[in-house]
Amino acid sequence: MKITIIGAGPGGYEAAIYAAKKGAEVVLIEKDSFGGTCLNRGCIPTKAFLASSSVLEMAHEAKSYGIKIDGTIEPEYSKIVDRKNKVVAGLVKGIGALLTANNVTQIKGFGKIVDKNTIEVTKDDGTIETVTTDYIVLGMGSVPTTPGMFKYDGNRVITSDEILDMKEAPQSVILVGGGVIGTEIGQFLAAMGTKVTIVEMMDRLLPTMDEDVSKQLARQFKKDKINVITSNGIAEVLPSSGSVEVVLQSGDKLSADYLLVAIGRMPFTKDCGLENVGIEFTEWGGRVKVNEYLQTNVDNIYAIGDLIDTAMLAHVATYEGICAIDNIMGKQWSPKYHAVPGCVYTTPAIASVGATELELQKEGKTYNTGTFDFRGLGKAQASGHIAGFVKVIADENDVLIGASIVGDTATDMLQVLTLAVQLGLTSEQMLQSIFPHPTMCEAILEALHDLHGLSIHKL
Amino acid sequence: MSYPSDLRYTKDHIWFKENGETFLIGVTDYAQDQLGEVLYVDLPAAGTVDAEGTIFEIESSKSATVMQIPFAVEVVAANEELDDDPENINNAPYDTWIAEVKADEADVAGLLSAADYEATL
Repeated sequence: MKITIIGAGPGGYEAAIYAAKKGAEVVLIEKDSFGGTCLNRGCIPTKAFLASSSVLEMAHEAKSYGIKIDGTIEPEYSKIVDRKNKVVAGLVKGIGALLTANNVTQIKGFGKIVDKNTIEVTKDDGTIETVTTDYIVLGMGSVPTTPGMFKYDGNRVITSDEILDMKEAPQSVILVGGGVIGTEIGQFLAAMGTKVTIVEMMDRLLPTMDEDVSKQLARQFKKDKINVITSNGIAEVLPSSGSVEVVLQSGDKLSADYLLVAIGRMPFTKDCGLENVGIEFTEWGGRVKVNEYLQTNVDNIYAIGDLIDTAMLAHVATYEGICAIDNIMGKQWSPKYHAVPGCVYTTPAIASVGATELELQKEGKTYNTGTFDFRGLGKAQASGHIAGFVKVIADENDVLIGASIVGDTATDMLQVLTLAVQLGLTSEQMLQSIFPHPTMCEAILEALHDLHGLSIHKL
Repeated sequence: MSYPSDLRYTKDHIWFKENGETFLIGVTDYAQDQLGEVLYVDLPAAGTVDAEGTIFEIESSKSATVMQIPFAVEVVAANEELDDDPENINNAPYDTWIAEVKADEADVAGLLSAADYEATL
């Protein structure tokens, strides 16, 4: 059985290795670098950047920990970029090694579907390689959304792509969009000394998360001196050679060196030949339409990741990639999305899974919450990372249906709650487990107890 | 612990000080002691705060505490110095105003005197 995958992002390359390990003949087509947006322009580079800014932050706080640092403490943007490039390059190479070790045929070039069993790949030197295949998995991912009104030019009006390779931190930037990308990049740039203004259409940052989460982040942004403008949007963009001026919907004017558009991403299907096989798209958003087995309307073509109408997250793409391969190779199952974890790598970090209170209130469902502030924990006080809380949400049968964590270790701590929501565990089942002391995880234990009014360390 | 006699006190540890046409408000010595090291104050925006509404929130090393106001007030100004020096509340609780408000004279007169407030503690 031959499977050809277009796109070597977290969806495509992992599906390729999985399929090869299961015995399929696999071809992987990629026009840029292995790892896709996640590794090259998204998850990994931004985390490398944030690692640098977190070292800076700790250095500034050193005195309060009894550590004396003589001299100036300042970021060197170009060196931060160098480190990021080194991290990314190493990982790209690593993916190549994994693919080769698993006998995946790798073709570098732009893949275009000619018919349901044929793909033409245009290589960098202009030559065309034709691939015939039994099955196709579409994993071309997404690109930043840049509506015409923003006058995106990659120079003064930019997206997250451009910020990752600048030679020095911008003096000032206006970020359009207070979601995951805007808040992470905004906070990073503020740490680098950039004057940051975030403009968000909704009434708060991270509008899809619960209000208590947004509130904690807004508080931190105020401390970071990030100017946050909510319930407002951009009406007009006026770029010039040295700066960008914007007119807000409220009529106010702002100006900065750069305008960074971070309002969302859209699927990348341009010139990929999907029309040649009559692939159907969703009514809204131009996503590829798939059934519950991730199969498109063409029986041997499957689609995953940012192309389809599911959360645009790397781990969702990977999950779907495995599912598509299983379905192609005879093990039928459908993805379940009730426990999709989401992480925001701000300071404090944010991680959430499952239902939010907002969603439950909209649906008129009854639920119970348990919360615990990290500052009640010994480990938090000892480490000095006291900001944030854990919130767990249970339904009327005590089944965990959602959780949010705001705090230093949020993104790594979430998994036990993701597992609980995935498996539908009750808080009683979870409370049978012993939580190690001293760890930040104890906040989860206390929050679970709090569902029943039995949190020991809560005033 | 001190409780200046020229101030009026709510049972929830907020003091009111006459300031011409308006009142300055802050938190008492007892409150700052209970709170611990104040790290941040969520200052109120200008506008009306209803009776039993949240007037400000204080984040300290021990907790994040919501402070309520017993009667409606109109917030006129907030002490922006607290953005940089929140510990002023610990060091000088009665010299550190948090908000400036317009309030009904009768409502303020109905608050506790220093002696009555101390008696509640």
